[in-house]
Amino acid sequence: MSSPANPYPSSQVLAPNGEASGSKPQPTISKAEQSRQRRAVQEQQRAAKAAAKTAPNVPGPSRPRSGSKLPPAPSTPKKSGAGPSKTQKDSKDAGSLAGDEFTGKSRGLRIFSHFGLPKPVSHVGKGDIHPAIVRLGLQFSEFKISGANARCIATLIAFKTVIQDYITPPNNTLSRHLMTHLSPQITHLVSARPMSVTMGNAIRQLKLEISGSDIDLPEQDAKDVLCHKIDHYIRDRIIIADQVIQEIAGSKIKDGDVILTYARSSVVEKVLLRAFSDEKSFSVIVVDSRPMLEGKKLLSVLSSAGISCSYLLLPAIGSVITEVSTVFVGAHSLHSNGAVFSRAGTALVAMMAKQHSVPVVVCCETYKYSEGVQLDSFTKNELAPSSDLLSSYPLTRPRETLNLKGQPNLEILNPLYDLTPPTSITAVVTEVGVIPPSSISSIPFALGRQTL
Amino acid sequence: MSSVSSSESERSESLQSDTQPGATSSSFDIYATYERFLQNEDISTPLAAILALTELVEKSNAGTMFELVKALNDGAKSLKEGTPNPISLNCGCELFVAFVSLFPHDSDTFSELKTELVKQGRSYAAEALGYRDRIADLSLGFIKDDSILTHSYSRVVMKTLLRAHKQKRISVYVTEARPRGLGFVLNVSSLAAAGIPCTVVLDSAVAYVMDNVDFVLVGSEAVVESGGLINAVGSHQMAIIAKAANKPFYALAESYKFHRLFPLSQYDLPTHNPSILSFPRTGTLSTLSAQPLSSSISQLHEVPTVPSESHSALLVPLSMTPEQIARNPDVDYTRPDLISLVISDVGHLTPEGVSQYLVGMFAG
Repeated sequence: MSSPANPYPSSQVLAPNGEASGSKPQPTISKAEQSRQRRAVQEQQRAAKAAAKTAPNVPGPSRPRSGSKLPPAPSTPKKSGAGPSKTQKDSKDAGSLAGDEFTGKSRGLRIFSHFGLPKPVSHVGKGDIHPAIVRLGLQFSEFKISGANARCIATLIAFKTVIQDYITPPNNTLSRHLMTHLSPQITHLVSARPMSVTMGNAIRQLKLEISGSDIDLPEQDAKDVLCHKIDHYIRDRIIIADQVIQEIAGSKIKDGDVILTYARSSVVEKVLLRAFSDEKSFSVIVVDSRPMLEGKKLLSVLSSAGISCSYLLLPAIGSVITEVSTVFVGAHSLHSNGAVFSRAGTALVAMMAKQHSVPVVVCCETYKYSEGVQLDSFTKNELAPSSDLLSSYPLTRPRETLNLKGQPNLEILNPLYDLTPPTSITAVVTEVGVIPPSSISSIPFALGRQTL
Repeated sequence: MSSVSSSESERSESLQSDTQPGATSSSFDIYATYERFLQNEDISTPLAAILALTELVEKSNAGTMFELVKALNDGAKSLKEGTPNPISLNCGCELFVAFVSLFPHDSDTFSELKTELVKQGRSYAAEALGYRDRIADLSLGFIKDDSILTHSYSRVVMKTLLRAHKQKRISVYVTEARPRGLGFVLNVSSLAAAGIPCTVVLDSAVAYVMDNVDFVLVGSEAVVESGGLINAVGSHQMAIIAKAANKPFYALAESYKFHRLFPLSQYDLPTHNPSILSFPRTGTLSTLSAQPLSSSISQLHEVPTVPSESHSALLVPLSMTPEQIARNPDVDYTRPDLISLVISDVGHLTPEGVSQYLVGMFAG
């Protein structure tokens, strides 16, 4: 299977090189011929070495690539135009290709190689990892705990355990040393799954508290103070904030409304439940999409509470959007240009609603605010776990025959998030009030410039 | 509702300990005071509310800050119940309550603090009376020898136009602003008296006249947190047409009209109620619609046959019944993307600037 497929990638890789060298036939022979030849010989040797290295493990796309390095290398001295810069680039290319030998096995598409991929975490971490963090890492990587709020709360609670179990080594102070103890824990969590903006904000605040803790305080007291600070952070920025958002967003739901929501956001779920308990009569359309199908959970919660719900998948949104009064969605993070980073598909829902002039309301706590500006959902993203790809299909053939994993010409790409542009958002409901997306950047100002 | 009853009970508790304060605050009729302030031509709704609440502070014998803020909130609530359109009233009440609760407590006794509050409230209101002149000065730079379209009647727009007339040659198109006809009645007489060329335009002829004007200038009932505008009904369609014709749409607003409110649509306004734009019940439909329908049919007959008499036919008052008027909205909400600039006494603000100003003002 792999051997007939090999020529194609090899020719693809070769094409740009040949083109590049051919397009620059500058006939100046100013550079010393000797050095060029020496470089070419080095190149050849390096390529041969790479070929020799990859020769034993036959499968994998790396072999044709290293093989493809051979033809251009001898041709370089003949084509006088290719100067030292060209050969340098070639050698750099060779280096990056060598890097691809490892990543290429798991993912063929190089342009998505920067997306964080959920990977199995070893039980035994490097260094001194607290068991609570090891457990949390596993829960993160298996998506047992997902959602920006849940992950942030779980992280903070685990850190409380870590802090309580921490003992300052002799000749050190807690405020100086605790952070060096926490950093590997954070690194371990990040290796399980890329850090969310919420976790980043919370950890930054925690670092600030640690560095500001009093040196003269007894160790146990200092630890208790930090744990209190963590509790307050969870209470003020998440729990109470959610309650305020429930109240404000609930006032936007009126009798007879049809609310549309996408996937599952813990805040939106609470808003809807609260509005229903306030005896407002409305119905909810839950829009969902593969592969996570998180909307099912929301659907079961809402319908068991007694709210009349409809459930449909993203492709069917066009047929219901005209009936909708308001769209409520949650967010993973909020950027200072007003863009909202949320579950993949949210942007589609928001744009569709904008097209039909349905108000789009994002429910989001201010601790999800990120100072950075994000312009697309490509530069930074994550890949959804692909393990249960076929679990929701009505299968007509045995599952084993439908294995999509091992196919060399098939790449499964499930980005986890996308970016909703500010133009398709009507309002963002935060605990400091309802804010138009154009004024998101004044959130720190609204919070009295306290650190986020 | 529950908050009212709890405050009532609290007041009755304080009444037992000290009978004097309860008696005075209950005898004070805030709504009558508010109406009295509104008699003054120059005092707009939010200012009248601020002054009425100032008077409430003066009359009230609340012994603590908590009681005072409670009394103020109750006063604001009873004011709101009195008016059908509480939006601009709310601006004033909100501003004053926020001011009182954020006021630094450095007085020796609470009664001193109250006199200080009263003094501050009065001086603010006196200062705020000058805001319109300031806006008129600020907006002068945007007016050349222009023809201007305005909608309904607004004191600040009137002041601006009169101010501009002293230096520029302006001409004004005024919509009649049905159903109240404020634009027609008030604008034309005062503009004509000042010698400004002025034409009354049908509300339905806004699109027709738009190509002929240089910009649109409207006042405001309130400027909301989205940067949008709440104003007499018809402003929204005017803004849409101005946008379509690429004409600037300027809103004039005193800073006390900035309102912490975020309407998502027309139906999210506090003035909206289910009876607005509802269909009449079938029984009343036949009797109500019969009258205007027949008159319009008679006009249709007249217009093609005798064109010269079509004007006289139009002069027949095409009035809606009071029920029909009641079923129509009083104000509408103009989206921020349709507004070029909000000119206020705190400066020229883009709609985004308004929302940032509001977020900063009320969150601090």
